[in-house]
Amino acid sequence: MRRSMRADETAARSSGNPVSLDGPARDPAVARTTSAADVVHVASLSKRYGEVVAADDVSFALPAGSVTGLLGPNGAGKTTVLRVLLGLAEPHKGEALILGRRYRDLDRPMHVVGAVLESGDFDPGRNGRDHLRVLAFAADVPQRRVDEALAVVGLARAAKRAVRTYSLGMRQRLTLAAALLGSPQLLVLDEPANGLDAKGVHWLRTFLRGFAADGGTVLVSSHVLAEIAQTVDHVVIVDRGHVVARSSLAELVADGKTLEEVYLALTSEDAA
Amino acid sequence: MTGVLRAELLKLRTTRTAVWLFAGLLALVCFVVLLHGFNLSPSRADHSGQMRIFGWGELGALFAALLGAVSITGELRNGLVRPTFLATPRRQQVLAAKLLSAMLAGLAFGAAAEVLAIGLGSATLSARGIPIRLEGEDYAQLILGGVVAAALWAPVGLGVGASLRNQVPTLIGLCAWLLFVENLLIGELPAVARYLPGAAAAAIGGATITGEVPTDPPLLPPILGALLLAGYAAVAMIIGIAATERRDVP
Ligand SMILES: Nc1ncnc2c1ncn2[C@@H]1O[C@H](COP(=O)(O)OP(=O)(O)OP(=O)(O)O)[C@@H](O)[C@H]1O
Ligand SMILES: [Mg+2]
Repeated sequence: MRRSMRADETAARSSGNPVSLDGPARDPAVARTTSAADVVHVASLSKRYGEVVAADDVSFALPAGSVTGLLGPNGAGKTTVLRVLLGLAEPHKGEALILGRRYRDLDRPMHVVGAVLESGDFDPGRNGRDHLRVLAFAADVPQRRVDEALAVVGLARAAKRAVRTYSLGMRQRLTLAAALLGSPQLLVLDEPANGLDAKGVHWLRTFLRGFAADGGTVLVSSHVLAEIAQTVDHVVIVDRGHVVARSSLAELVADGKTLEEVYLALTSEDAA
Repeated sequence: MTGVLRAELLKLRTTRTAVWLFAGLLALVCFVVLLHGFNLSPSRADHSGQMRIFGWGELGALFAALLGAVSITGELRNGLVRPTFLATPRRQQVLAAKLLSAMLAGLAFGAAAEVLAIGLGSATLSARGIPIRLEGEDYAQLILGGVVAAALWAPVGLGVGASLRNQVPTLIGLCAWLLFVENLLIGELPAVARYLPGAAAAAIGGATITGEVPTDPPLLPPILGALLLAGYAAVAMIIGIAATERRDVP
Protein backbone atom coordinates (compact mmCIF):
# COMPACT_ATOMS: atom_id res chain seq x y z
CA MET A 1 0.00 0.00 0.00
CA ARG A 2 2.79 2.35 0.91
CA ARG A 3 4.22 2.05 -2.55
CA SER A 4 0.96 2.81 -4.29
CA MET A 5 0.41 5.81 -2.05
CA ARG A 6 3.73 7.20 -3.12
CA ALA A 7 2.89 6.53 -6.72
CA ASP A 8 -0.35 8.44 -6.28
CA GLU A 9 1.43 11.30 -4.73
CA THR A 10 4.06 11.51 -7.44
CA ALA A 11 1.37 11.27 -10.08
CA ALA A 12 -0.57 14.07 -8.47
CA ARG A 13 2.46 16.29 -8.51
CA SER A 14 3.97 15.51 -11.89
CA SER A 15 0.64 15.61 -13.72
CA GLY A 16 0.44 19.27 -12.90
CA ASN A 17 -2.80 18.72 -11.05
CA PRO A 18 -4.17 22.20 -10.40
CA VAL A 19 -4.42 21.62 -6.67
CA SER A 20 -1.18 19.77 -6.02
CA LEU A 21 1.23 21.36 -3.57
CA ASP A 22 0.48 24.95 -4.33
CA GLY A 23 -3.11 24.12 -5.20
CA PRO A 24 -5.22 26.17 -2.84
CA ALA A 25 -3.24 29.27 -3.76
CA ARG A 26 -4.02 28.92 -7.45
CA ASP A 27 -7.66 28.30 -6.83
CA PRO A 28 -9.41 31.37 -8.21
CA ALA A 29 -12.29 30.74 -5.82
CA VAL A 30 -10.08 31.83 -2.95
CA ALA A 31 -8.97 35.40 -2.69
CA ARG A 32 -6.28 35.48 -0.03
CA THR A 33 -6.70 38.30 2.39
CA THR A 34 -3.46 40.14 2.84
CA SER A 35 -5.01 42.89 4.86
CA ALA A 36 -3.14 44.22 7.85
CA ALA A 37 -5.62 42.57 10.20
CA ASP A 38 -4.42 39.42 11.90
CA VAL A 39 -5.83 36.19 10.54
CA VAL A 40 -5.92 34.67 14.01
CA HIS A 41 -6.35 36.73 17.14
CA VAL A 42 -6.27 34.97 20.50
CA ALA A 43 -6.71 37.29 23.48
CA SER A 44 -6.54 36.43 27.20
CA LEU A 45 -7.95 33.00 26.52
CA SER A 46 -8.62 30.82 29.57
CA LYS A 47 -10.14 27.37 29.68
CA ARG A 48 -10.63 25.18 32.74
CA TYR A 49 -11.58 21.53 32.96
CA GLY A 50 -12.69 21.16 36.55
CA GLU A 51 -9.56 21.73 38.61
CA VAL A 52 -7.25 21.68 35.61
CA VAL A 53 -6.48 25.05 34.05
CA ALA A 54 -5.77 23.88 30.52
CA ALA A 55 -5.20 27.39 29.14
CA ASP A 56 -4.55 30.48 31.25
CA ASP A 57 -4.53 33.95 29.75
CA VAL A 58 -3.19 32.80 26.39
CA SER A 59 -2.69 35.56 23.82
CA PHE A 60 -1.08 35.56 20.40
CA ALA A 61 -1.81 36.75 16.89
CA LEU A 62 -0.95 35.35 13.49
CA PRO A 63 -0.33 37.72 10.59
CA ALA A 64 -1.30 36.54 7.11
CA GLY A 65 1.34 34.44 5.42
CA SER A 66 3.02 33.28 8.64
CA VAL A 67 3.71 29.72 9.69
CA THR A 68 3.55 29.51 13.47
CA GLY A 69 4.53 26.53 15.58
CA LEU A 70 2.54 25.97 18.77
CA LEU A 71 4.92 24.06 21.06
CA GLY A 72 4.76 22.73 24.57
CA PRO A 73 4.99 19.55 26.66
CA ASN A 74 2.22 16.96 26.84
CA GLY A 75 -0.77 18.47 28.56
CA ALA A 76 0.48 22.04 28.11
CA GLY A 77 -2.79 23.12 26.52
CA LYS A 78 -2.02 23.19 22.80
CA THR A 79 -4.99 21.10 21.74
CA THR A 80 -7.21 23.04 24.13
CA VAL A 81 -6.29 26.35 22.49
CA LEU A 82 -6.88 24.92 19.01
CA ARG A 83 -10.23 23.44 20.04
CA VAL A 84 -11.41 26.81 21.35
CA LEU A 85 -10.15 28.52 18.19
CA LEU A 86 -12.17 26.03 16.10
CA GLY A 87 -15.38 26.55 18.03
CA LEU A 88 -15.44 23.07 19.51
CA ALA A 89 -14.96 24.29 23.08
CA GLU A 90 -16.09 27.47 24.81
CA PRO A 91 -13.49 29.53 26.67
CA HIS A 92 -14.15 30.66 30.24
CA LYS A 93 -12.51 33.97 29.52
CA GLY A 94 -11.08 35.77 26.53
CA GLU A 95 -11.67 35.10 22.89
CA ALA A 96 -10.22 33.44 19.83
CA LEU A 97 -11.07 35.09 16.52
CA ILE A 98 -10.47 34.18 12.89
CA LEU A 99 -10.58 37.17 10.56
CA GLY A 100 -12.25 39.05 13.36
CA ARG A 101 -15.02 36.53 13.98
CA ARG A 102 -15.58 33.53 16.21
CA TYR A 103 -15.35 30.26 14.27
CA ARG A 104 -19.00 29.51 14.99
CA ASP A 105 -19.98 32.82 13.39
CA LEU A 106 -18.11 32.23 10.13
CA ASP A 107 -20.17 31.61 7.00
CA ARG A 108 -18.96 28.47 5.26
CA PRO A 109 -15.99 28.09 7.65
CA MET A 110 -14.25 25.34 5.69
CA HIS A 111 -13.69 27.89 2.91
CA VAL A 112 -11.67 29.91 5.41
CA VAL A 113 -10.10 27.41 7.78
CA GLY A 114 -8.82 23.89 7.21
CA ALA A 115 -8.34 21.93 10.42
CA VAL A 116 -6.52 18.74 11.31
CA LEU A 117 -7.23 17.52 14.84
CA GLU A 118 -5.03 15.06 16.68
CA SER A 119 -7.68 12.37 16.83
CA GLY A 120 -8.70 10.36 13.79
CA ASP A 121 -12.30 11.43 13.36
CA PHE A 122 -14.01 9.07 10.95
CA ASP A 123 -16.71 6.49 10.80
CA PRO A 124 -14.49 3.43 10.33
CA GLY A 125 -17.06 1.74 8.09
CA ARG A 126 -17.21 4.55 5.53
CA ASN A 127 -14.66 4.75 2.73
CA GLY A 128 -12.29 7.68 2.45
CA ARG A 129 -13.92 9.14 -0.60
CA ASP A 130 -17.42 9.01 0.87
CA HIS A 131 -16.08 10.62 4.04
CA LEU A 132 -14.89 13.56 1.97
CA ARG A 133 -18.08 13.64 -0.11
CA VAL A 134 -20.12 13.97 3.07
CA LEU A 135 -17.96 16.84 4.30
CA ALA A 136 -18.02 18.52 0.89
CA PHE A 137 -21.82 18.59 0.93
CA ALA A 138 -21.90 19.90 4.47
CA ALA A 139 -19.25 22.53 3.78
CA ASP A 140 -20.82 23.69 0.52
CA VAL A 141 -17.74 22.71 -1.48
CA PRO A 142 -18.10 21.42 -5.07
CA GLN A 143 -17.91 17.62 -5.18
CA ARG A 144 -15.05 17.72 -7.70
CA ARG A 145 -12.81 18.97 -4.89
CA VAL A 146 -13.07 15.50 -3.32
CA ASP A 147 -10.97 13.73 -5.94
CA GLU A 148 -8.63 16.69 -6.21
CA ALA A 149 -7.96 16.64 -2.48
CA LEU A 150 -7.50 12.86 -2.49
CA ALA A 151 -4.90 13.23 -5.23
CA VAL A 152 -3.07 16.01 -3.39
CA VAL A 153 -2.54 13.87 -0.31
CA GLY A 154 -1.80 10.72 -2.33
CA LEU A 155 -4.82 8.69 -1.31
CA ALA A 156 -6.49 8.25 -4.70
CA ARG A 157 -5.96 4.49 -4.83
CA ALA A 158 -7.17 3.80 -1.32
CA ALA A 159 -10.16 6.11 -1.67
CA LYS A 160 -12.75 3.36 -2.04
CA ARG A 161 -11.59 1.35 0.96
CA ALA A 162 -13.20 1.57 4.38
CA VAL A 163 -11.25 3.87 6.66
CA ARG A 164 -10.93 1.03 9.18
CA THR A 165 -8.41 -0.57 6.80
CA TYR A 166 -6.22 2.57 6.67
CA SER A 167 -2.84 2.82 8.36
CA LEU A 168 -2.18 5.66 10.81
CA GLY A 169 -0.45 7.74 8.15
CA MET A 170 -3.25 7.14 5.65
CA ARG A 171 -5.80 8.38 8.18
CA GLN A 172 -3.67 11.45 8.73
CA ARG A 173 -3.59 12.06 4.99
CA LEU A 174 -7.36 11.74 4.82
CA THR A 175 -7.74 14.33 7.59
CA LEU A 176 -5.43 16.63 5.64
CA ALA A 177 -7.51 16.09 2.52
CA ALA A 178 -10.61 17.13 4.47
CA ALA A 179 -8.82 20.26 5.65
CA LEU A 180 -7.95 21.20 2.05
CA LEU A 181 -11.46 20.63 0.65
CA GLY A 182 -12.58 24.23 0.94
CA SER A 183 -9.30 25.73 -0.38
CA PRO A 184 -8.87 27.60 2.92
CA GLN A 185 -6.58 30.52 3.64
CA LEU A 186 -5.78 29.32 7.17
CA LEU A 187 -4.65 25.87 8.23
CA VAL A 188 -4.90 24.82 11.88
CA LEU A 189 -3.03 21.58 12.38
CA ASP A 190 -2.65 19.57 15.58
CA GLU A 191 0.29 17.18 15.24
CA PRO A 192 -0.19 16.84 11.48
CA ALA A 193 2.99 14.82 10.98
CA ASN A 194 1.75 12.15 13.38
CA GLY A 195 2.16 8.80 11.63
CA LEU A 196 3.38 10.21 8.33
CA ASP A 197 6.32 8.40 6.71
CA ALA A 198 9.53 10.24 5.81
CA LYS A 199 8.21 11.13 2.41
CA GLY A 200 4.94 12.30 3.87
CA VAL A 201 6.72 14.55 6.38
CA HIS A 202 8.81 16.03 3.60
CA TRP A 203 5.72 16.57 1.48
CA LEU A 204 3.91 18.24 4.39
CA ARG A 205 6.80 20.60 5.07
CA THR A 206 7.04 21.60 1.42
CA PHE A 207 3.31 21.97 1.23
CA LEU A 208 3.10 24.25 4.26
CA ARG A 209 5.95 26.45 3.05
CA GLY A 210 4.33 26.76 -0.38
CA PHE A 211 0.96 27.44 1.20
CA ALA A 212 2.43 30.30 3.26
CA ALA A 213 4.45 31.65 0.36
CA ASP A 214 1.18 32.08 -1.48
CA GLY A 215 -0.24 34.12 1.37
CA GLY A 216 -1.81 31.32 3.42
CA THR A 217 -1.46 31.28 7.19
CA VAL A 218 -0.58 28.19 9.21
CA LEU A 219 -0.85 27.36 12.92
CA VAL A 220 0.72 23.99 13.63
CA SER A 221 1.29 22.20 16.91
CA SER A 222 4.07 19.68 17.15
CA HIS A 223 6.53 17.91 19.43
CA VAL A 224 9.07 17.24 16.73
CA LEU A 225 11.30 20.25 17.26
CA ALA A 226 13.72 19.42 14.46
CA GLU A 227 10.80 19.29 12.05
CA ILE A 228 9.28 22.47 13.41
CA ALA A 229 12.60 24.31 13.14
CA GLN A 230 12.56 23.61 9.41
CA THR A 231 8.95 24.55 8.84
CA VAL A 232 7.89 27.53 10.94
CA ASP A 233 8.90 31.16 11.05
CA HIS A 234 7.19 31.99 14.36
CA VAL A 235 6.78 30.04 17.58
CA VAL A 236 4.42 30.19 20.52
CA ILE A 237 5.57 28.01 23.41
CA VAL A 238 3.05 27.08 26.09
CA ASP A 239 3.72 25.36 29.38
CA ARG A 240 1.00 24.36 31.87
CA GLY A 241 -1.50 26.58 30.13
CA HIS A 242 0.73 29.68 30.03
CA VAL A 243 2.49 31.23 27.08
CA VAL A 244 6.20 31.22 27.98
CA ALA A 245 7.58 32.41 24.66
CA ARG A 246 6.13 34.13 21.63
CA SER A 247 8.45 35.38 18.94
CA SER A 248 9.91 34.77 15.53
CA LEU A 249 12.07 31.68 15.28
CA ALA A 250 15.04 33.81 14.26
CA GLU A 251 14.80 35.95 17.41
CA LEU A 252 14.34 32.94 19.64
CA VAL A 253 17.56 31.28 18.52
CA ALA A 254 19.43 34.57 18.04
CA ASP A 255 22.18 33.94 20.58
CA GLY A 256 23.36 30.76 18.92
CA LYS A 257 21.17 28.30 20.85
CA THR A 258 19.12 25.64 19.11
CA LEU A 259 15.33 25.62 19.29
CA GLU A 260 15.57 22.50 21.43
CA GLU A 261 17.85 24.18 23.98
CA VAL A 262 15.57 27.19 24.28
CA TYR A 263 12.50 24.95 24.51
CA LEU A 264 13.94 22.74 27.23
CA ALA A 265 14.99 25.76 29.28
CA LEU A 266 11.50 27.27 29.10
CA THR A 267 9.27 24.26 29.76
CA SER A 268 8.74 22.07 32.82
CA GLU A 269 9.65 18.41 33.02
CA ASP A 270 6.40 16.78 34.13
CA ALA A 271 3.34 16.56 31.95
CA ALA A 272 0.69 18.93 33.29
CA MET B 1 -29.20 23.80 4.82
CA THR B 2 -29.71 21.61 1.74
CA GLY B 3 -26.00 20.78 1.76
CA VAL B 4 -26.21 19.72 5.39
CA LEU B 5 -29.25 17.56 4.64
CA ARG B 6 -27.53 15.97 1.65
CA ALA B 7 -24.53 15.26 3.85
CA GLU B 8 -26.70 13.52 6.44
CA LEU B 9 -28.55 11.49 3.80
CA LEU B 10 -25.22 10.46 2.29
CA LYS B 11 -24.01 9.43 5.74
CA LEU B 12 -27.04 7.13 6.04
CA ARG B 13 -26.28 5.52 2.69
CA THR B 14 -22.52 5.07 3.02
CA THR B 15 -22.25 2.85 6.08
CA ARG B 16 -24.03 -0.37 6.87
CA THR B 17 -25.58 0.85 10.12
CA ALA B 18 -29.00 1.65 8.64
CA VAL B 19 -29.02 -1.55 6.61
CA TRP B 20 -28.22 -3.66 9.67
CA LEU B 21 -30.89 -1.97 11.73
CA PHE B 22 -33.38 -2.48 8.91
CA ALA B 23 -32.45 -6.17 8.61
CA GLY B 24 -32.67 -6.57 12.38
CA LEU B 25 -36.11 -4.99 12.39
CA LEU B 26 -37.45 -7.26 9.65
CA ALA B 27 -35.99 -10.35 11.29
CA LEU B 28 -37.52 -9.44 14.66
CA VAL B 29 -40.93 -8.72 13.10
CA CYS B 30 -40.84 -12.11 11.33
CA PHE B 31 -39.94 -13.87 14.55
CA VAL B 32 -42.60 -12.22 16.70
CA VAL B 33 -45.40 -12.41 14.14
CA LEU B 34 -44.74 -16.07 13.37
CA LEU B 35 -44.50 -16.92 17.07
CA HIS B 36 -47.72 -15.17 18.02
CA GLY B 37 -49.49 -16.12 14.80
CA PHE B 38 -48.94 -19.81 15.36
CA ASN B 39 -49.64 -19.64 19.10
CA LEU B 40 -52.78 -17.54 18.98
CA SER B 41 -55.57 -19.69 20.36
CA PRO B 42 -58.56 -19.70 17.97
CA SER B 43 -60.82 -18.57 20.82
CA ARG B 44 -58.83 -15.33 21.09
CA ALA B 45 -58.47 -14.82 17.35
CA ASP B 46 -61.08 -12.08 17.39
CA HIS B 47 -60.64 -8.63 15.92
CA SER B 48 -58.47 -7.24 18.74
CA GLY B 49 -56.41 -10.43 19.01
CA GLN B 50 -55.62 -10.20 15.31
CA MET B 51 -54.89 -6.48 15.54
CA ARG B 52 -52.29 -7.29 18.19
CA ILE B 53 -50.47 -9.70 15.90
CA PHE B 54 -50.62 -7.42 12.88
CA GLY B 55 -49.62 -4.49 15.02
CA TRP B 56 -46.14 -5.85 15.70
CA GLY B 57 -44.97 -3.77 12.76
CA GLU B 58 -44.81 -1.02 15.35
CA LEU B 59 -41.40 -2.40 16.24
CA GLY B 60 -40.44 -0.05 13.40
CA ALA B 61 -40.81 2.77 15.93
CA LEU B 62 -38.19 1.23 18.22
CA PHE B 63 -35.73 0.75 15.37
CA ALA B 64 -36.37 4.25 14.01
CA ALA B 65 -35.55 5.54 17.50
CA LEU B 66 -32.35 3.48 17.56
CA LEU B 67 -31.37 4.87 14.15
CA GLY B 68 -32.07 8.44 15.23
CA ALA B 69 -30.02 7.90 18.37
CA VAL B 70 -27.08 6.27 16.60
CA SER B 71 -26.93 9.09 14.06
CA ILE B 72 -25.58 11.33 16.83
CA THR B 73 -24.14 8.96 19.46
CA GLY B 74 -22.23 7.06 16.78
CA GLU B 75 -20.52 10.28 15.68
CA LEU B 76 -19.79 11.23 19.26
CA ARG B 77 -18.26 7.80 19.74
CA ASN B 78 -16.00 7.69 16.68
CA GLY B 79 -15.25 11.43 16.62
CA LEU B 80 -16.90 12.22 13.28
CA VAL B 81 -18.88 14.82 15.21
CA ARG B 82 -15.78 17.05 15.16
CA PRO B 83 -15.43 17.38 11.37
CA THR B 84 -19.23 17.53 11.20
CA PHE B 85 -19.34 20.58 13.47
CA LEU B 86 -16.26 22.09 11.81
CA ALA B 87 -18.12 21.98 8.50
CA THR B 88 -21.38 23.20 10.04
CA PRO B 89 -20.69 25.10 13.26
CA ARG B 90 -24.36 26.03 13.62
CA ARG B 91 -25.03 22.83 15.43
CA GLN B 92 -28.81 23.09 15.38
CA GLN B 93 -28.62 22.88 11.57
CA VAL B 94 -26.82 19.56 11.85
CA LEU B 95 -29.44 18.25 14.27
CA ALA B 96 -32.25 19.52 12.05
CA ALA B 97 -30.74 17.66 9.09
CA LYS B 98 -30.35 14.54 11.21
CA LEU B 99 -33.97 14.94 12.28
CA LEU B 100 -35.19 14.99 8.67
CA SER B 101 -33.00 12.11 7.53
CA ALA B 102 -33.91 9.97 10.56
CA MET B 103 -37.61 10.69 10.03
CA LEU B 104 -37.31 9.69 6.37
CA ALA B 105 -35.62 6.46 7.36
CA GLY B 106 -38.27 6.04 10.06
CA LEU B 107 -41.04 6.29 7.43
CA ALA B 108 -39.39 3.48 5.48
CA PHE B 109 -38.82 1.39 8.61
CA GLY B 110 -42.42 1.80 9.76
CA ALA B 111 -43.95 1.05 6.36
CA ALA B 112 -41.79 -2.00 5.68
CA ALA B 113 -42.28 -3.46 9.17
CA GLU B 114 -46.05 -3.01 9.12
CA VAL B 115 -46.48 -4.40 5.60
CA LEU B 116 -44.34 -7.39 6.59
CA ALA B 117 -46.35 -7.95 9.78
CA ILE B 118 -49.65 -7.81 7.91
CA GLY B 119 -48.46 -10.07 5.10
CA LEU B 120 -46.85 -12.64 7.34
CA GLY B 121 -49.64 -12.48 9.91
CA SER B 122 -52.34 -13.04 7.29
CA ALA B 123 -50.42 -15.92 5.77
CA THR B 124 -49.92 -17.54 9.16
CA LEU B 125 -53.55 -17.23 10.24
CA SER B 126 -54.81 -18.39 6.83
CA ALA B 127 -52.53 -21.39 6.97
CA ARG B 128 -54.19 -22.32 10.28
CA GLY B 129 -57.64 -21.86 8.77
CA ILE B 130 -58.46 -18.85 10.97
CA PRO B 131 -60.59 -16.31 9.10
CA ILE B 132 -59.11 -12.81 8.98
CA ARG B 133 -61.36 -10.36 10.81
CA LEU B 134 -59.66 -7.12 9.78
CA GLU B 135 -61.09 -4.74 7.24
CA GLY B 136 -59.79 -2.08 4.93
CA GLU B 137 -59.76 0.66 7.51
CA ASP B 138 -57.94 -1.57 10.02
CA TYR B 139 -55.14 -2.12 7.53
CA ALA B 140 -55.06 1.58 6.76
CA GLN B 141 -54.76 2.43 10.45
CA LEU B 142 -52.06 -0.20 11.02
CA ILE B 143 -49.89 0.96 8.13
CA LEU B 144 -50.44 4.66 8.60
CA GLY B 145 -50.00 4.23 12.33
CA GLY B 146 -46.80 2.22 11.94
CA VAL B 147 -45.38 4.85 9.59
CA VAL B 148 -46.33 7.84 11.73
CA ALA B 149 -45.19 6.19 14.97
CA ALA B 150 -41.80 5.31 13.48
CA ALA B 151 -41.35 8.76 11.92
CA LEU B 152 -42.08 10.36 15.30
CA TRP B 153 -39.99 7.98 17.39
CA ALA B 154 -36.91 8.74 15.25
CA PRO B 155 -36.63 12.29 16.66
CA VAL B 156 -37.32 10.97 20.17
CA GLY B 157 -34.28 8.70 19.78
CA LEU B 158 -32.20 11.51 18.24
CA GLY B 159 -33.11 13.91 21.03
CA VAL B 160 -32.35 11.36 23.74
CA GLY B 161 -29.04 10.50 22.06
CA ALA B 162 -28.04 14.16 21.74
CA SER B 163 -28.87 14.69 25.43
CA LEU B 164 -27.25 11.57 26.89
CA ARG B 165 -24.42 11.49 24.31
CA ASN B 166 -23.24 8.07 25.40
CA GLN B 167 -24.17 5.40 22.86
CA VAL B 168 -24.61 2.26 24.93
CA PRO B 169 -26.78 3.74 27.71
CA THR B 170 -28.87 5.52 25.08
CA LEU B 171 -29.61 2.39 23.07
CA ILE B 172 -30.20 0.23 26.14
CA GLY B 173 -32.40 2.94 27.62
CA LEU B 174 -34.58 3.20 24.52
CA CYS B 175 -35.02 -0.58 24.26
CA ALA B 176 -35.68 -0.98 27.97
CA TRP B 177 -38.18 1.86 27.96
CA LEU B 178 -40.24 0.66 25.01
CA LEU B 179 -40.09 -3.07 25.57
CA PHE B 180 -40.00 -3.26 29.36
CA VAL B 181 -40.83 -0.13 31.35
CA GLU B 182 -43.94 0.85 29.44
CA ASN B 183 -44.93 -2.79 29.23
CA LEU B 184 -45.05 -2.95 33.03
CA LEU B 185 -46.67 0.43 33.46
CA ILE B 186 -49.46 -0.19 30.96
CA GLY B 187 -50.44 -3.24 33.01
CA GLU B 188 -50.09 -1.66 36.44
CA LEU B 189 -50.95 1.99 35.89
CA PRO B 190 -52.90 2.28 32.64
CA ALA B 191 -54.44 5.63 33.59
CA VAL B 192 -50.98 7.20 33.55
CA ALA B 193 -49.22 4.93 31.10
CA ARG B 194 -51.61 5.72 28.26
CA TYR B 195 -49.99 9.15 28.07
CA LEU B 196 -46.44 7.78 27.72
CA PRO B 197 -44.68 7.88 24.33
CA GLY B 198 -44.83 4.12 23.65
CA ALA B 199 -48.54 3.98 24.41
CA ALA B 200 -49.06 7.07 22.27
CA ALA B 201 -47.35 5.26 19.37
CA ALA B 202 -49.55 2.25 19.99
CA ALA B 203 -52.64 4.43 20.00
CA ILE B 204 -51.83 5.72 16.52
CA GLY B 205 -51.70 2.24 15.02
CA GLY B 206 -54.47 0.77 17.13
CA ALA B 207 -52.29 -1.97 18.61
CA THR B 208 -49.58 -2.07 21.20
CA ILE B 209 -46.06 -3.38 21.27
CA THR B 210 -45.76 -2.61 24.94
CA GLY B 211 -48.14 -5.21 26.29
CA GLU B 212 -51.88 -5.78 26.65
CA VAL B 213 -54.12 -3.20 25.08
CA PRO B 214 -55.69 -1.52 28.08
CA THR B 215 -59.44 -1.22 28.02
CA ASP B 216 -60.09 0.78 31.18
CA PRO B 217 -59.16 3.45 30.36
CA PRO B 218 -58.37 2.59 26.72
CA LEU B 219 -55.52 3.95 24.62
CA LEU B 220 -55.94 7.50 23.35
CA PRO B 221 -57.69 8.12 20.02
CA PRO B 222 -55.15 7.88 17.14
CA ILE B 223 -55.07 11.62 16.44
CA LEU B 224 -54.44 12.48 20.07
CA GLY B 225 -51.78 9.78 20.23
CA ALA B 226 -50.02 11.29 17.21
CA LEU B 227 -50.17 14.80 18.65
CA LEU B 228 -48.90 13.64 22.02
CA LEU B 229 -46.04 11.68 20.43
CA ALA B 230 -45.16 14.70 18.28
CA GLY B 231 -45.01 16.67 21.52
CA TYR B 232 -42.61 14.16 23.06
CA ALA B 233 -40.49 14.29 19.88
CA ALA B 234 -40.39 18.10 20.03
CA VAL B 235 -39.40 18.13 23.70
CA ALA B 236 -36.67 15.52 23.15
CA MET B 237 -35.29 17.50 20.19
CA ILE B 238 -35.37 20.82 22.05
CA ILE B 239 -33.46 19.34 24.99
CA GLY B 240 -31.03 17.59 22.64
CA ILE B 241 -30.37 20.75 20.61
CA ALA B 242 -29.96 22.91 23.72
CA ALA B 243 -27.50 20.42 25.21
CA THR B 244 -25.55 20.19 21.95
CA GLU B 245 -25.37 23.96 21.50
CA ARG B 246 -24.24 24.57 25.06
CA ARG B 247 -21.74 21.79 25.74
CA ASP B 248 -18.24 21.48 24.33
CA VAL B 249 -17.79 18.98 21.55
CA PRO B 250 -15.88 16.12 23.20
N1 LIG C 1 -12.05 17.20 27.91
C1 LIG C 1 -11.18 17.36 28.93
N2 LIG C 1 -11.58 17.07 30.18
C2 LIG C 1 -10.74 17.22 31.22
N3 LIG C 1 -9.48 17.64 31.10
C3 LIG C 1 -9.02 17.94 29.88
C4 LIG C 1 -9.85 17.80 28.73
N4 LIG C 1 -9.13 18.17 27.64
C5 LIG C 1 -7.91 18.50 28.11
N5 LIG C 1 -7.83 18.37 29.45
C6 LIG C 1 -6.67 18.69 30.28
O1 LIG C 1 -6.18 19.94 29.88
C7 LIG C 1 -4.77 19.95 29.87
C8 LIG C 1 -4.29 20.38 28.50
O2 LIG C 1 -4.59 19.36 27.59
P1 LIG C 1 -4.30 19.47 26.02
O3 LIG C 1 -4.91 18.31 25.37
O4 LIG C 1 -4.68 20.82 25.57
O5 LIG C 1 -2.70 19.34 26.01
P2 LIG C 1 -1.71 19.30 24.77
O6 LIG C 1 -0.78 20.42 24.92
O7 LIG C 1 -2.47 19.20 23.51
O8 LIG C 1 -0.94 17.94 25.05
P3 LIG C 1 -0.33 16.86 24.03
O9 LIG C 1 0.99 17.36 23.63
O10 LIG C 1 -0.20 15.63 24.88
O11 LIG C 1 -1.29 16.69 22.91
C9 LIG C 1 -4.34 18.56 30.29
O12 LIG C 1 -4.04 18.59 31.66
C10 LIG C 1 -5.54 17.72 30.05
O13 LIG C 1 -5.58 16.67 30.98
MG1 LIG D 1 -2.62 17.79 22.06
